[in-house]
Amino acid sequence: MDYILELCHVEKTYGEKENRVRALKDINLQVKEGEFAAIVGTSGSGKSTLLNLIGGLDTPTKGEIFVKGKETGSLTRKELTIFRRRNIGFVFQNYSLMPVLNVYDNVALPITFDKGKHINRRYIEELLKELGIWDKRKKYPNELSGGQQQRAAIARALITKPAIILADEPTGNLDSHTTIEVMGLLKASCKKYSQTILMVTHNEGIAQICDRIIHIEDGMVVSGARPFPGKGGEGVC
Amino acid sequence: MLKLAYQYMRYYKSQTFAILASMVLTSALLSGISSLMYSSQIASLENSKAVYGEWHYSLEAEPEIFHSVHNGEKGTGFLVEQWGKIQIKDMVAEPYPIYFIHADESYRQMAHRELIEGNYPKEANEIAADHYTLGNLGFSGSIGDTLNINGKDYILTGIVKSIWAPDANEMEIFVGENFAGRGSHSLLYLKFDEKEKLYKQLDAFLQKYKISSEKVKANDEVVMYLKGEKPERILDIIKFALTDEHGNFTYIILKLQSEYNLAFRGMILLLCVFSLFIIYSIFNISVSRRRAEYAVMQTLGISEKRIGVTLILELWLLFLAGYSLGCLLGNGIIAGLSGTGLVSEGDKAEDAVFHVAVNAMLAGFVFLLAALVFVGFCTVVSMRKQSIRQVMNGDTSFIKRRRKIYSIRNRSLSGVVVRKFMFSSKKKAVGILLSLSLGGGIFLCTTYMVENLKIHAEMSLKSDDGLGSAYRISLKSNVLSDTIHENTVNELKSMPELSQVYGTKYILGELIIGKQELEWDEYFDEQNKDSYFRQHFAGICVEKDDGTYGIKYDVYGYDAGMIEQLQEFVIEGEISQDELKEGNKIIAAANRDGQGNYNFYGKHPGDTITLRVPKDMNCSSDVLKFQSPGEYYITKEFEIAAIVSRALAQEDSYLNAESWSNMQSLIMTNRQMGSQFGITDYSFVNASLADGADGQQVRGLLLEKIQDVPRAVLKDFTTAIETRKNYLSRQQLFFSGIAGILLVISLFHIMNSMNYSILSRRREYGIIRAMGITDIGFYRMILQTGILYGLLADVFIFLLYNMVLRRFMDYYMAHVVQFLHFTAEVPNGIMAAVMILNILIAAAAVTIPAGKIIKSDIIREIET
Repeated sequence: MDYILELCHVEKTYGEKENRVRALKDINLQVKEGEFAAIVGTSGSGKSTLLNLIGGLDTPTKGEIFVKGKETGSLTRKELTIFRRRNIGFVFQNYSLMPVLNVYDNVALPITFDKGKHINRRYIEELLKELGIWDKRKKYPNELSGGQQQRAAIARALITKPAIILADEPTGNLDSHTTIEVMGLLKASCKKYSQTILMVTHNEGIAQICDRIIHIEDGMVVSGARPFPGKGGEGVC
Repeated sequence: MLKLAYQYMRYYKSQTFAILASMVLTSALLSGISSLMYSSQIASLENSKAVYGEWHYSLEAEPEIFHSVHNGEKGTGFLVEQWGKIQIKDMVAEPYPIYFIHADESYRQMAHRELIEGNYPKEANEIAADHYTLGNLGFSGSIGDTLNINGKDYILTGIVKSIWAPDANEMEIFVGENFAGRGSHSLLYLKFDEKEKLYKQLDAFLQKYKISSEKVKANDEVVMYLKGEKPERILDIIKFALTDEHGNFTYIILKLQSEYNLAFRGMILLLCVFSLFIIYSIFNISVSRRRAEYAVMQTLGISEKRIGVTLILELWLLFLAGYSLGCLLGNGIIAGLSGTGLVSEGDKAEDAVFHVAVNAMLAGFVFLLAALVFVGFCTVVSMRKQSIRQVMNGDTSFIKRRRKIYSIRNRSLSGVVVRKFMFSSKKKAVGILLSLSLGGGIFLCTTYMVENLKIHAEMSLKSDDGLGSAYRISLKSNVLSDTIHENTVNELKSMPELSQVYGTKYILGELIIGKQELEWDEYFDEQNKDSYFRQHFAGICVEKDDGTYGIKYDVYGYDAGMIEQLQEFVIEGEISQDELKEGNKIIAAANRDGQGNYNFYGKHPGDTITLRVPKDMNCSSDVLKFQSPGEYYITKEFEIAAIVSRALAQEDSYLNAESWSNMQSLIMTNRQMGSQFGITDYSFVNASLADGADGQQVRGLLLEKIQDVPRAVLKDFTTAIETRKNYLSRQQLFFSGIAGILLVISLFHIMNSMNYSILSRRREYGIIRAMGITDIGFYRMILQTGILYGLLADVFIFLLYNMVLRRFMDYYMAHVVQFLHFTAEVPNGIMAAVMILNILIAAAAVTIPAGKIIKSDIIREIET
């Protein structure tokens, strides 16, 4: 079976000698297309590190990561950047919107990095309407609530129609009501656009909404600790 | 708080270094330039002393005063450091006006008329003289030989130092005490203690000996540096400027310059302000990085006052180190350079002795120390503009937004982002652009001044004192019929050792104008007061019985070469050689007031003037007063062809005598002088040395040629020209050096500002990188920022220079330093170089922080 994401014996070590910290140890993971998976773990367990490695924002010390069958470690820095731009969308806990751009431009921003790529205005409109912030398109991030900002960030992540969306604690800064709203939107987007979503969270309750939960403890994927069975599953390469 | 300040300095090492570096550089500039200017003022004083003598005042005194001074009697309020005495024993009028003086050794030493050969005369028939006098008297012998002056034989016992060439108007023969002359007029020469104000010492001296101040003559060129005259109170100067109809801003500037050394003090103040601006700007950048921390501290309960004190302490600590280092550096560099003679402003490179301007440095220290308190205060006040929450979050909600979707029209948003970053705060953007353009602006101003200084210097050399030509043959006479025959001038023109031989014809004339045309009615007041003018010409501007005014004018006849040179001096109209040759067109030199304004009685080219000149060159001296009956004069009307700022090669026996120079002049061609007034012979000749000719030999040849021309004297300017040219080139180097240093400091400032401007957006750039911009794309985007800053700074420089600075410089050059013309522009090459340099530096400056950002971790950048 083809997986959209595969991690084989991935390790990440920070520091040297006595300061050496093994953030991830022999991670093997496969994710299918359209899967909405939650990566759950305690603080410092390595879940964000895992997400950064998948997103190409960091490089593994050992092992291989395949996204859409492409081993990201084999790419040059430039190729990796372009690959990331076209295949991976990010949603950050602190939204990471450009404060000097309005919602519409923030969403359009990743497309403009691809020379000659047409900005699909209809798609932007559809996304913003879908996410309920079309009327806020001319507003600047600091004029929006946290939930609205996160919706804009989700729209931005979806705009390039990436293979995977990586969401790092997307509801971490939101109140419970908005958290439910945002999770609903993520889930809906996943369904509507057949989008694969990997979401890091430390909140087991939120994780329950996902199709699958991946537990990480001390830098390792913990098998068997899966209260709700998902569509996919951990496997060994 | 001191500990906190110290901790901040340690933590923000690079910013601490930037502030320290800015302090070191600016204080190096401040102290270096102050010492340089101070040294050059001392050098100018020494130079003036070398030219005009070491003495401060001379006065006619009774024998008992000589006796008292001789006995070293002291008085309160003055200290006579040196005194000298001369006695004018006799004077002859033929072949030139020559004074026979007996001078004591002290005077000879103060006046730099020391013996360079032989002995001082003792006997009644013994004399000593300088080379200038001896040469013009046709003496080619040596010490011990006999010299005949006005029919009497004298034995030459010694040769004394010559007077500075351009001032060598008087001929002096030194004689012994036993010389039997017809007079014994005595003058006392005084040199007071230069550490104290001279005018106060003179007042005390005059009071003690009950001498009228009218009997005192000051050595103006020397005492002007030593507070030789009591300065007017600043309040009175301003009051006059505001209340009197003749008072204006220029009056204040000129008065402050002459009485309070404005150029020096103004420069120190400007440098202090410049230093403060740079330090404030860099410190502000540093503080803006830790505003959030100060906000956190405020939430923990620290007061604004304490934050302010912490900031001031940090600034002071750095300032103490930076200022001392800067002073050492600045003075060290200047001292090193002055050893090479490169940065001396004095006339002589060998006089380039370095002096540390301790007072200026102390003033700068106190000013900056106090100003840094103000900087701390301003920084705290600027924090108040945002709430603590806003400061902590780096909130920019206060920025005004445009409700425009840019991605609809722009394919790339990076340009939009760049512009948005730059102009998120217009005030800040304007501040950065202004600071970026300041150095370039100052550099352009200095270049503009240097370019015009060159022209002014060349024009001054040509017109002021004959220094435009190596040799000048003139007549030591104020009788119009004394001339140099046409044949002699032709012989001189045919000498292969000479080039550019220009003969000038001369006649004294009177310009007749109506009362209503005398626009500057007070212009001639000073001249009319002069006893010399009253005695010889019955005044300069005299009202006639018919209500018109007669103004004495030098009327010159130039040949084609000199007329051509006059083109540079044209203020109005055109000079056409053909039209001037025979017709009745004339060139008028405009009058210039003390504030650098030109006027020719409201007349312009095309208008006519009435000119009277004596009919007969053999006229009596009374005719020169223009009060004789009409038949003694030729009266003609002339049309003004052009108005010029100065005349060239001016006479020095009529109106330009005594302390006057550049007097009223009218110019026509030599041919016109013949056809209009029947003047065929010349009054003076200027000549230059041909390439490869030997100066000493040419001098001898010229003396031979003029041997038979009664009253003709030769002045050799070769050394003086060389000295003046050296001085001018050093002056240009001096200004260019200052401009260069300012440019370097401002480039340093640009680098720092750009660095901050980029690094302050780390998070945003991190987001852009996370969104997938490539490294090249990112560099391109950052370069776009740098280039945009550079281009905008160029526009700023252009506008600032053309709309503000240049106008200020034009005013400064026209009215304060009073350049003859300022026709030069900043060369296009330099203008383009400054513009390109700005862009390059701004572009280079942004690539450094861009490189830092590229190397950094995206996640960490986003999370900051």
